Amino acid sequence: MTEAEAEQETARTPTATAPDLVALEQEGEIAADYIEGLLDIADIDGDIDMDVEGDRAVVSVVGVKGGDLTGKHGEVLEALQELTRLAVHRQTGERSRLMLDVGGFRERRRAELTKLGVKIADDVKRSGEPKPLQPMTPFERKIVHDAVAAAGLRSESEGEEPNRFVVVMPA
Amino acid sequence: MLEEALEHLVKGIVEHPDEVRVRGRRIRTGRVLEVRVHPDDLGKVIGRGGRTAKALRTVVNALADGKFVRVDLLDLSEAR
Repeated sequence: MTEAEAEQETARTPTATAPDLVALEQEGEIAADYIEGLLDIADIDGDIDMDVEGDRAVVSVVGVKGGDLTGKHGEVLEALQELTRLAVHRQTGERSRLMLDVGGFRERRRAELTKLGVKIADDVKRSGEPKPLQPMTPFERKIVHDAVAAAGLRSESEGEEPNRFVVVMPA
Repeated sequence: MLEEALEHLVKGIVEHPDEVRVRGRRIRTGRVLEVRVHPDDLGKVIGRGGRTAKALRTVVNALADGKFVRVDLLDLSEAR
């Protein structure tokens, strides 16, 4: 199974049963408390929005002033998301797939990477050669896999974390 | 502030939050934050392959204004 398929597989399984909205909202509440506590201590201004997208809770910190909770390549955001999921897990006993965003970073990254995926798919269609991309986080690779699939090509991930990267395959 | 931030981050993910202690000290190359947790929680704050420890270090260093901060994870019974 390719990673793109595996990621779709894990995305599909929970939707087989309807997502438990109450449980997801509770995840959001726990996450928001955890993040808000950190913002207070670090003296970072920001409002916390909670939402449910499909089968996962989304917590976004908006209007951020002060501090850098994203990092140059989103590595701080990934780390904070990881910790936030653990905080949710401790209270609910369930593994969380919660998504954390800060300052719209994920939205911007999603747009950039979708564009990149489409462009690389075009390049590969023209050249007929597989094309490896830069190392990316799982979140980023998923977006590229989706964009490449939408353009009608296949992609795989190779290498080990944190240097795992997408390779776009010719038809 | 860093001690308090780290304490908050760790307390939220362990089974024994009341037994989390964070102490900061200076070393020549910067600062060290020593986190002590209940022995049963040490595995939790380290995580599989050191994943959680790495996440804690990444967030703490992001809050440290570009100064390097070392984060040591210990269990409460370890003397130092």
